[in-house]
Amino acid sequence: MAITAGDGRDGYSMIVEASHLSRRYGEGEAAVDALSDVSVGFPEGRFAAIMGPSGSGKSTLMHILAGLDSPTSGSVRVAGVELTELGDRELTQLRRDRIGFIFQTFNLLPVLSADENILLPLSIAGRKPDHAWYEQLIDTVGIRDRLSHRPAEMSGGQQQRVAVARALISRPSVVFADEPSGNLDSKSSGDVLRLLRQAVDDIGQTVVMVTHDAHAASFADRLLLLADGRIVHDGEAVSTEQALDLMKSVG
Amino acid sequence: MLALVARGFLQRKLRVLLTAIAIALGVALMAGTYVLTDTINKSFAGIFQTATKGHDVVITPTQSLGRRVISQTSPITEQMLAQVRGTPGVAEAAGSIFTPGTFLDVHGKRLTTGGAPAFIGSEVPKRFESFTAVHGRFPVNAEEVAIDEATAERSNLKIGEQMIVAGSAPAKRYTIVGILRFGGGQSFGGAGAAILTLAEAQRVVGDTGRYDQIDVAARPGVTPSGLRTRIRGELPSTVAVRTGSEQASKETSDLESNLSFLRTFLLVFAYVALVVGAFIIFNTFSITVAQRTREFGLLRTLGASRAQIRRSVVYEGLMLGIVGGVVGLLGGIALAPGLDQLFKSFGADLPDSGTVIETRTIVVSLAVGVGVTVLAGLSPALRATRVPPLAAMREGVEIPRRTPITRGRHAVPVLLALIGVRLVVAIALGEPFSTIAITFAIGVVLLYVRLRQRATGPRYRLTRALAHAVGGLVRWRGITGRLAEENSIRQPGRTLTTASALTVGIALVTLVAVLADGTKATINQAVDRSFAGDLIVENSSVNSEAAIPAVLAPALRRVPGVASVTPIAFTVGRLRTSTSNEAITAVEPESFERVYRVEWKQGSNATLQRLGESGAIVKNSFASSHHLKVGQRLEVLTPTDRYVPITVEGIAEDNTRLLGDLTITLALARRAFGQREDALDFVSYEKGVTNEQVQPRVEELLASYFPQARSRTAAQFKADQSGQINSLLALIYVLLALSVIVSLFGIVNTLVLSIYERTRELGMLRAIGTSRAQIRQMIRYESVITALIGGIFGLVIGVVAAVLITTLTLSGSGYVQAFPVGTLLILLVVAAVAGLIAAQLPARRAARLDTLSALASE
Repeated sequence: MAITAGDGRDGYSMIVEASHLSRRYGEGEAAVDALSDVSVGFPEGRFAAIMGPSGSGKSTLMHILAGLDSPTSGSVRVAGVELTELGDRELTQLRRDRIGFIFQTFNLLPVLSADENILLPLSIAGRKPDHAWYEQLIDTVGIRDRLSHRPAEMSGGQQQRVAVARALISRPSVVFADEPSGNLDSKSSGDVLRLLRQAVDDIGQTVVMVTHDAHAASFADRLLLLADGRIVHDGEAVSTEQALDLMKSVG
Repeated sequence: MLALVARGFLQRKLRVLLTAIAIALGVALMAGTYVLTDTINKSFAGIFQTATKGHDVVITPTQSLGRRVISQTSPITEQMLAQVRGTPGVAEAAGSIFTPGTFLDVHGKRLTTGGAPAFIGSEVPKRFESFTAVHGRFPVNAEEVAIDEATAERSNLKIGEQMIVAGSAPAKRYTIVGILRFGGGQSFGGAGAAILTLAEAQRVVGDTGRYDQIDVAARPGVTPSGLRTRIRGELPSTVAVRTGSEQASKETSDLESNLSFLRTFLLVFAYVALVVGAFIIFNTFSITVAQRTREFGLLRTLGASRAQIRRSVVYEGLMLGIVGGVVGLLGGIALAPGLDQLFKSFGADLPDSGTVIETRTIVVSLAVGVGVTVLAGLSPALRATRVPPLAAMREGVEIPRRTPITRGRHAVPVLLALIGVRLVVAIALGEPFSTIAITFAIGVVLLYVRLRQRATGPRYRLTRALAHAVGGLVRWRGITGRLAEENSIRQPGRTLTTASALTVGIALVTLVAVLADGTKATINQAVDRSFAGDLIVENSSVNSEAAIPAVLAPALRRVPGVASVTPIAFTVGRLRTSTSNEAITAVEPESFERVYRVEWKQGSNATLQRLGESGAIVKNSFASSHHLKVGQRLEVLTPTDRYVPITVEGIAEDNTRLLGDLTITLALARRAFGQREDALDFVSYEKGVTNEQVQPRVEELLASYFPQARSRTAAQFKADQSGQINSLLALIYVLLALSVIVSLFGIVNTLVLSIYERTRELGMLRAIGTSRAQIRQMIRYESVITALIGGIFGLVIGVVAAVLITTLTLSGSGYVQAFPVGTLLILLVVAAVAGLIAAQLPARRAARLDTLSALASE
C-alpha cells in the first residue's frame, strides 16, 4: 500500500503526532505488547478512522493519543504539546481544553438534562459558553426540542447526538470517537456519522474515530488498519466492501 | 455456598471492615460497660471481704431506706455495745466510726479530688483492723492521725507533717503519725481514709457516744450464725445484725445495685449505637444486593434455589456479625479503662483492679453483634431471592418489587404518629419497660406497613426537597456542587437511610441539649424568683450529697453584716403505702421565709410557721401523683427506721429543686430523721452592706474553721448549677458521639458503594477534563448534603420530641422552654464536618479511579 493522503507530508499541519509508540501490559512471561513501534500523524481538519480486529491495539492507540493512558516508550504530541512529559494536572487541563470525546456508551450524566450535558465540559472548566456556537451546535445535531430532557428520556441516537454536541462545545483541537455508532441502530448510526463528517467539512474539525464497523469507517477521509499492535494499512478511505476486504486480509 | 460467601468476604475486605465497625462500636461500648462494672464490683467485693475479715458478727444501722452518705445520727449507742459485750459467747466487741469527711493540707487544699470519697475512721482492736501501718503507728491521742498510703503518696505527706480533718465539728489540725495500708495491699477503692482515736473520731463526726458499727468476735466453739441469732434477740430493729460474710455479701450486693444505674446508663448509649449500626448494615446489604443482581441471576441460572440465595446473604450477615461481635468484644475490653477515665474526668472516681471478663460479657456481646447484623440483613436477603435468573443475561434487570400495600394509606401515618407520641410519653414518664417495649413493637410493625405503602406514592418528596434546599449551599460552587446535589437524590431511599443513621445521634443530642437548656433556664428563673438572700454556703465538694456542719449556721450569724442565716437539710423518707424513697427538705421556718419565696398553691407563709414537729408542705407534683390533700395524715418511715406521723399543711410549687416532695422543719428532721448536718445555709445581709464587705468575711470564717465549705452569691450559684448540668451534658455528648461516629462509617460505606456503581461516569468526567480535585470536591459535597439532611431531620425530631416531652409531662410546673440556638447551629456544623470527614476516603478513591474505565466497553 502506498502512503498517500493525510500523512501530513502534503501541507497539512499535524494536530496529533505519535512516534515510535510502544505499550506493554504486564510483565515477564505474561507480558503483552499492545502497541509496537507505532508512528502516525493526524493532520488538522481531517477525519481518520482506525480499524482493526479485537486486540489489535486500536483502542490502546486512541487512549494514548488522548492522554488517557501512557506509552511504555515513544512520544505523543497533541497541538504541539508533548503528552508523555505531562503530569495528571496538565493532562487533565489538556483534555479539558484541547480534546473532545465521544463514547460508545454515550456516557451522558443521567442526573443532568441534555443542555447541561452539552455544556458540562465548559462547566467543569468554569468557562462561559459561546452562545452563538451553542445555538448553532444544537441546531446542527437537531436536539433543540429535547434540551430539557434527561438521558433516560431520550433514544440512543438522541443521546449520542447530545454527546457529539458535548464533544464539540469547547472547540477542541481534536475529537476522539470510540465506536460512536457501536450501540446504535443503522439509522441513528448514519445520523451520528454524518454529524461527524459535517463537523470536519464545515468547521474543519479534526476527528479520530476507532471502529470495527467498515460502514462507519467509510465516512472518514483516511483509513488506518491495525493488527497485532502495528499499523498494517494507512490510506485513503475506501468503500465499505473494500474496507471489509482489507479487514479480512489482516484478520 | 458457605465457601462462596467466605471467598466473597475476602474479596471485599474494605467493605467488610467498614460494615463490621458499624456494629463493632456498639458492641464495644456494651462489652466495655460490662467489663468496667464487673471489674468495679469485683474490686469492691474484695474490699468488703478484707474489711470484714476476723469479724464473726457485724452490727450496723438497719437503713431500710438505703445507705446514705449524708450525715445521719447512728442508732448504735454505747448502751447497745454494753449489751453486746454482755451476750454469752462474745469474746470481744468494739464500736467504731467510719463516716465521710474532708481532708485538707495545711494550706486548705483538698487531699482527695473529684468524687473520690474520704472517710474519717477510728482505730479498732487488732483482730478487727483491716489496716496495717507500713510506716509509723496508729494514733494514740486527739492530736494524731494515721492516713492511707495512696492519699499520703498523692499529696506527698510524710510522718511528722500536719494535715486538717473536717467533719461536723470545726476543722482541726493533726500530726501524721502513721501511713496505713489496706488489707493485703490492695487499693482502698480510690477512697481516702484518716484514722483517729475513737473518742476523737466520734467528736469530729458529731456522733459522741455513738458508733457507725460494732464488730464482734465469737468465743471458740461459738459459730458466727449462732452468735448472730443470740445478739439479734438483744437489740432493737433499728440495727442490723449479720455475720461477717453476710455483711460482705450485703455490701457487695448493695454496691452492685448502685452500679446497675451506671451500667444501664452506659448500655442505653450502646443500644443507640447498635440501632444506628443496624441502619448501616441494612443499607449496605441493600446496596450490595442490588449491585450483585447479576451474580444472583447467574447462580439462579446455574440452579441455585431461592433458599440458597437467601442463605448466602444471611450467612454473609452471620459472618459479618461474628467479625463485628469479636472485634467489638476485644474493643470493649480495651475500652473499659477508657470509660473509667471518662468517669474520672467527670468527677466520679471508681476503684478498679485488673480486668474482669465474665462469660456473660462474651456471650451477650457476640449474641447481640450477630443478632443485630443478621436481623438487619434479613430484608435485603429476602430481596435477593427475588432476583430472576434472567438477570444474568441482561444488564439493568430490576429486582421485582413486592406489591405495595394500598389499604389504610391515610390511617397508618396517623396511627404511626400517635404511637410515636405515646412512646415518647411512656419513656418520659418512666412507664414500665413492658409498656415501652410493646409500644415500640407496634410502632415497628406500623413503620414496616408504611414503608410497604410508600412504594406507590410520590416517594421521598421531603428528602428530595431537603437535598435541593441543602444543595443551595454548594450549588454556587459550580458544576461539582450541582452534580453533588443531583447525585445525592439519585437514590433518595439510600440517601435517606444513610442520613437516618446520623439522624438518630443528632436527634438525641438535640433532645438532651434542649432539655438541659430548659432546665437551666427553669432553675435560673426559679432562683431569681424564689431566692431572696445574698449568699449560699455549701460544701465545695463535687459530690452533691456532701454536707456542711450544723454548727456552721450559728457561726455565720456572728459574722458582721449578716442579718440572718437559715440552714437547710436534705433527707429521705418513705410513705407507709410506698416502696420508694421520697426527697425531703428540712428548713427552719422562722428564718426560711425571710430568704425564700414559697410559691404557694395552698397555704401561706403562716402555714410554714405552723408546721412544728408534725407538719409538712407537699410539692404540687407529688400531691397530685399521690392524691394528697391538705389535712391528710401520712405515716413516714425515717432513715432511723421509725415511723413518724406527718400532716399535710400546705401545697407548693417549686422549680429550684430546693423543696423536696415533702418539706418539714429542721427540728423534726433532727429529732426523728437523725439529721445531723445541713446541706446549705442561706445568708441574708443587713440593709446597706455590700457583698464586697461581707462575702470576704464569710470566706475567712470558712477557711479557718470550715474549709470544706464555700460561699456563693445567687449568680455564682446559678452558674454552678449550669456548670453541673453542662458537665453531665458533656458526658452524654461524649457517649452519643459514638453513635455519630458509627453513622460516619455508614456514610463512608454508602459513598464507596455508590462510587463503585458510578465508575464509568467518573471515568467519563475525568476523560473530558474534570480534575482529581474536582472529583474529590464533588464527593465531599455529596457527603455533606447527605450529612446535613440527616442533621436537619435530627434537629427537627430532637426539638419536637423535647417540646412534646416537656409539654406533656411538665406543663403547668413552671418549666421554662428554652432553645440553645447556638448549640443547635453548631450541631449542624458538626454534621457537615462529619460529612466532610466521612468523604475523605471515598473521595480519594473516586479521584484515583482509572480514567479508562469510562471507555471500557461491556
